[in-house]
Amino acid sequence: MSKKRISNVILQKIRGREGDIIPVLRTVPLFEGLTFRDLKKIELIVHERTFMPDEVVFYERQPGTGMYIIKKGLIKLTKTINEEKAKIADLEEGEFFGEMALLEDYPRSAEATAVVKTEVLGIFRPDLFDLIEHNPRLGSKILMKLSQRLANRLRKTTEMKLKEV
Amino acid sequence: MEKNEFQKLWKTFEIIAIGCVLFGILLVLYLVRALLTPFIIAFVITFFLSPIVDYMEGEGINRTFAVILLIILTLIFLFILWKLTWPTIQTEISSFQKNAPFYISKIQDSLNRAIDLLEKNMGFIPKGTLEKALQQKINSLTSGTGDVSSLIKIIKELVTTLIVIPFVTFFLVKDGRKIKKMLIAYVPNKYFETFLTLFYKIDQQISNYIRGQLIDSFIVGVIAIIGLYLFRVNYAFLIGVVLGMFNIIPYIGPSMGFVFGSLLILIDTGSTVNLIKFICIYVCIRVLDDIIISPLVLSRRVHVHTLMVIIVIMLGGFFHGILGMLLAVPLYCSIKVTFQILYRGFIEYGNW
Repeated sequence: MSKKRISNVILQKIRGREGDIIPVLRTVPLFEGLTFRDLKKIELIVHERTFMPDEVVFYERQPGTGMYIIKKGLIKLTKTINEEKAKIADLEEGEFFGEMALLEDYPRSAEATAVVKTEVLGIFRPDLFDLIEHNPRLGSKILMKLSQRLANRLRKTTEMKLKEV
Repeated sequence: MEKNEFQKLWKTFEIIAIGCVLFGILLVLYLVRALLTPFIIAFVITFFLSPIVDYMEGEGINRTFAVILLIILTLIFLFILWKLTWPTIQTEISSFQKNAPFYISKIQDSLNRAIDLLEKNMGFIPKGTLEKALQQKINSLTSGTGDVSSLIKIIKELVTTLIVIPFVTFFLVKDGRKIKKMLIAYVPNKYFETFLTLFYKIDQQISNYIRGQLIDSFIVGVIAIIGLYLFRVNYAFLIGVVLGMFNIIPYIGPSMGFVFGSLLILIDTGSTVNLIKFICIYVCIRVLDDIIISPLVLSRRVHVHTLMVIIVIMLGGFFHGILGMLLAVPLYCSIKVTFQILYRGFIEYGNW
């Protein structure tokens, strides 16, 4: 065994194994630029859930508590318009939804349903607030990314409205 | 239409099933309540130690190492405290032990006089009935303490408790987050978010309350000991510790401490001056506690009506003694929050 490989094995033992959650977290823009140690801390607050085909992840108007990252499978987002469900988007592996609920206790704006058997990683507001309280440095990094994402969305909506006018 | 009716029926069945499971859990807990004491104490200590470990972890210290370090520091602190206070405690306890028979006979005399007066004024009570009942009660209180088998039983229980508490506390502080995550993993997808919020709010209510009460009581106890020492009141340490301990129970606790202190002073010296000194110190402590200590320590006080607090504390005492009294208010608040969240999630938003 080469010296490099031995040192890698020792390092892995000390830092802990990556497992299958951290690689998924790395793909999420909210956690961009975070170190392995930071991701390990986020892994502690992640809840793994599996949804069967046609099982609802959350309903429209339901009070939201957190966001979901798709680990495996497909999620359909729908919205009720004039008492009929209209499809907004199909989300695939590595994509995430429901992040607004991380910031406020407001009813969900759409319904999310699993199309096929889907594995998701859930991050919820109480755990995030706990993380911010005990690890403000990491908490502020996540909140910063979240705010940037919301600012981006707000800018796009404003531009669209201006075009309409 | 038929499908809708079936769904409604199924949902009703689900509500009843969840209710039955919760009731079953509570029933099992009630049946094994005698075994719960060390676990409840470990939970109380965990609520106190967890924030410190969380803070240390936030500063980059490994959680296991932080827990071990904290336990070692706590043991060192307790050892120093014991070394500093043991001579005083020993003197007070031996003095109390020496005078105990005298105190008991004094109480008995006063009670006998009161019984005589009662029996004289209330003709319908046959003479000697109350005196006999009192004697039986005193005998049951004093017997058993010298019994070897009961002493062995007490020591066995004490040793088991002393081993179980640190062991359970260590794992609760170290793996509390993992245990919570493991428990919540069993909740079906449909109720997951609601239960997670519920879990968090209950945890917050209980931990804030217990932490606040413990800190408040510790401060009250220390102030009481200092005050009683300065005014040279006998059994200053014993009365101070009892005042602090009873302070954990809201409303009723401080009064219980006051009654204990007053009785001990009256029986010990019979001096009104000492009693007045004690009352003055007690009033000062109460004012300090209500105006300064409590608002500072219990920043997130629970919003429950005073009458309700007294009722739930009495119920807690009935089910699990002093510990039941301590946990009664946070448990009541948890039940209240549970209903509020379930109502909001299932009924207001129509997802049930």
